[in-house]
Amino acid sequence: MTKLVELPQGTLEMLILKAISLGPLHGYGVLLRIQQISGERLEILQGSFYTAIYRLERRGWIKGEWGESENNRRARFYSLTAAGARQLKAEAAKWIDMTTVVASILDKKASEI
Amino acid sequence: MSVLAAIRRLWHAVAPRTHSDVEEEFCSTLDAYKQDLIRQGFPGEEAHRKARIDLGQPAAQNESYRDAIGLRAFDELGGDIRYGLRALRRNPGFAAVAVLSLALGIGATTAMFSLIYAVLLHPFPYAGADRIMNPVIINEQHPDEPQWFPLNKAQFDALRLAAPVDSLLGFNNSHMEITGGGLPEDVYDIYLTEDAGAFFGVRPLLGRNIAPSDAENGGHSVVVLNYRFWQRHFGGDPRVIGKTLEIDHASYTVVGVMPRSFAFNDTTGVGDVYLPGSLMRGIGNVPYLAYIPWIKLRPHVSLAAANSALEPIVRQFAKEHPERFPDHWHLALQPIIVPYQQETGRTLTLLLAGVVLLLIIGCANCSILLLARGGTRQHELAIRSAIGASRWRIVRQLLVEAVVISCTGAALGVAASYWLAKLPLLLTPDSFPAESVIRINVPILAFSVALALLCGILFGLVPALRLSGNDSARMLPGRQIGIVTAPVTQRWSVLIASQVALTLLLMATAGTAIRSFLQLIQMPLGYDPANVMKLGIMLHVHDPGEWDRIQSHDPRTAYIEQIRDKIASVRGVSTVAVGTDATPPYSGAESPFNVDGNRDREQPQARVMLVGQQYFAALHIPLFQGRIWNADENARGDFVAVVNRAFAVRYLFSSHALRRQLRIPSLTSRNRYIATSAQSTAWRQIIGVVDDARDDGVDRPVVPAIYIPYTAEMLPYVQFLIRTQGDPLSYVRAIRVAIASVASDQEVSNGVLPLDEAIERDAQYTRQRLFSMLFGVFSAMALTLALVGIFSVVANSVAQRTTEFGVRLALGAPRVHVLWVATRVALVSAAAGIVMGIGFDSFLGTVVAHWMRSAFSAGTLFAAAAPLAVTALLACLISARRAVTIPPSEALRYE
Repeated sequence: MTKLVELPQGTLEMLILKAISLGPLHGYGVLLRIQQISGERLEILQGSFYTAIYRLERRGWIKGEWGESENNRRARFYSLTAAGARQLKAEAAKWIDMTTVVASILDKKASEI
Repeated sequence: MSVLAAIRRLWHAVAPRTHSDVEEEFCSTLDAYKQDLIRQGFPGEEAHRKARIDLGQPAAQNESYRDAIGLRAFDELGGDIRYGLRALRRNPGFAAVAVLSLALGIGATTAMFSLIYAVLLHPFPYAGADRIMNPVIINEQHPDEPQWFPLNKAQFDALRLAAPVDSLLGFNNSHMEITGGGLPEDVYDIYLTEDAGAFFGVRPLLGRNIAPSDAENGGHSVVVLNYRFWQRHFGGDPRVIGKTLEIDHASYTVVGVMPRSFAFNDTTGVGDVYLPGSLMRGIGNVPYLAYIPWIKLRPHVSLAAANSALEPIVRQFAKEHPERFPDHWHLALQPIIVPYQQETGRTLTLLLAGVVLLLIIGCANCSILLLARGGTRQHELAIRSAIGASRWRIVRQLLVEAVVISCTGAALGVAASYWLAKLPLLLTPDSFPAESVIRINVPILAFSVALALLCGILFGLVPALRLSGNDSARMLPGRQIGIVTAPVTQRWSVLIASQVALTLLLMATAGTAIRSFLQLIQMPLGYDPANVMKLGIMLHVHDPGEWDRIQSHDPRTAYIEQIRDKIASVRGVSTVAVGTDATPPYSGAESPFNVDGNRDREQPQARVMLVGQQYFAALHIPLFQGRIWNADENARGDFVAVVNRAFAVRYLFSSHALRRQLRIPSLTSRNRYIATSAQSTAWRQIIGVVDDARDDGVDRPVVPAIYIPYTAEMLPYVQFLIRTQGDPLSYVRAIRVAIASVASDQEVSNGVLPLDEAIERDAQYTRQRLFSMLFGVFSAMALTLALVGIFSVVANSVAQRTTEFGVRLALGAPRVHVLWVATRVALVSAAAGIVMGIGFDSFLGTVVAHWMRSAFSAGTLFAAAAPLAVTALLACLISARRAVTIPPSEALRYE
């Protein structure tokens, strides 16, 4: 089994937005999808997960609607709003920028400076 | 509907999802997770259990939802408030006292200030009321009796053009009668210059004001109604405009109704109806039938500047009619508020000071309670902090409780103020301008409420910070051995001392007010009001047959005497006297007169009393010198007069009064309803001097008076002063029957009035009674608050120290000693407060003397301090009783 990764502060919301952008999902589905994409390397606590979902909904980045789940139960499906899509784009760009810079610094060897 | 929708939308914006919505989502997640676990191979029961353990309670989910969307602080605050209310319900005595202390303070302060504002600062509804002046002539020899001066048309127009005058109102009054209906009805008319509408700037309730166009063609026959008259005569009919009103057999069209607040004019009598001034007959010809002016000054003109600008103009008038002005005089413009300020101002200011004290005492009391209560909650707070409450959380909890108390007190206080503000007006309607509408003054209400809240927060915060600062480990065992930390007491002992001192100040003031009221009651009147009543009849001037019979002098005298004799023959009636408008304590009409040998160019004035010869016997006014006229002289009406001693001293210099003569030139028949004797204005011999009897109000010096036979000038109405054996009102029926035996349709006017009741209705009397009562009530409230304060701190500290007292008693301390230990701090603070209060009062005595016209006497101070000391001691002892009555064994087991 591979080692678990701990998420830095604030990245969970971005991951949720990303997961939902791939297609509307109910809350538990979002959680499973993130874990599945990460190759089970992320463990997400239920408590902080739902707090993040509520906060995203409150800000109007995702929108919840009641629908039918795969096992014929009522479930709340979340989809990305336009504002959410913009937010995801901006966050992702920022994240990639940052990681590129940090990685490029970490990759440097003494001889390269 | 739209409001509800708006609220729902707003609520939706704050909390978009409902509880059940969040819960349902949680359950579906729970379910999905469980299915997952089963798929992974967990048995059903196990999967269910694990899912519940991993995900938690549905209710907790809601909490985290509200936390996520930022509502948690509100939830906690709501919890604090609910907890605070529950804590107050658990301890209702404490809550009630704290809340009532604040409510009383706020209510009384706001009510009193609103009253003062309405009465002193802004009583009139007129536009620019502070610029409206009542011009008077001050006689420099008698500066306390300002005179009005009527102007004829030319003078009036000259005054209107003066530089400082913005606009000018002229008015004159007349008693008339409403005719054309069934019974004639008395009506008080005020003629107004036709620009009065613009002068007052008061919008009529219905229709219009009297307008300048009403002056055309010698005046239109229109009438504007006073609100009360409209209510009384027309039953408040909203379609009254356009109807006609017949006054003295002339028809007037109703064009307007004034609002309730318009009651022009309080000083000379509130008019029932207002008529265009042009209708006043004889303006410009008859010098005395003219306009009385009110002047509205231009903005920013000072009183002194206006006085000096107008004085030369009035000097010119004096040259034209020197007989109407005294020898040495100056003009004074009086703001129209002045009469009320002089009469009521001082005492109202004093009352305001009193209620501010009450507010402070109320706040202090609330603070004492909060401080004392804070001490008893150490244990509870220690537990809260031990199980993890943050300091901020505890402070917030205590603060919320304090604010709950202050807010409840403030809300009650606001409600109380509405009621209290009406109280003085209900008790003494005569002491205040009829026009002042008492409204609650919002700024002062806000001030009182803010003060109460501030006090609640401040004194809620002190114990909150102190208690929350202690660490729980130290506080918990401390509770078990029953030892109390000392510093709390010092704070409340200062509060107790100042509260007691202020209470003493209020009680001393109340004592002084009550004493001066008692002095007023005991002041000699000069007449005996007991068992005497006034009863009036109106002659039938509008019944031509009957009027012809009694219109002339002699038959009218005979008619009145016949009625008098019949009343006198009623069993139980001892004396009956005729007295036209000569009912004390306000009797007679101010009239000019001449005294023989008096070379003064000034025409002096005195009260002229038209009375029958029995008047002095009926009122028990003793004869000082000479004699009273007899029945024959009374029927003739001429050549005799009796004066009072004030008259003799002022105008006859007491020398040989009985040899002097006087004449009253104004005793002429001015209209067809008045019958005068043959030589009513001729010289009269002074045949007697009587002792002074109050004729200008119960508390004012007696003014010079001339008594002459009533037949000298008979008005179309007459009053009888009837002395009876026992309660005069019980004879009214028999007297009505007696009068009817003379003339069956002769009705008795409304307003049969015993003279002692007339005194009770006197403005000064009612005012002084009101102030005594209010101050009495204030000091009683203050005393109650102070005692409750003392009681609750002692009771609280005894409750906290029960174990300690148990130990002391068990070790053999005498009960007296334990009692002393329990009450020492409170007793010492109360004693210090009394000493401080006495010092304070002696210092303030001179200030108060200025306001109340009498200082605190040593007797009053003692009378206030003694009950305060005794009740304070009692409060201490009663509340500390528990400390010595509880058996030691029980005290040690306590808690």
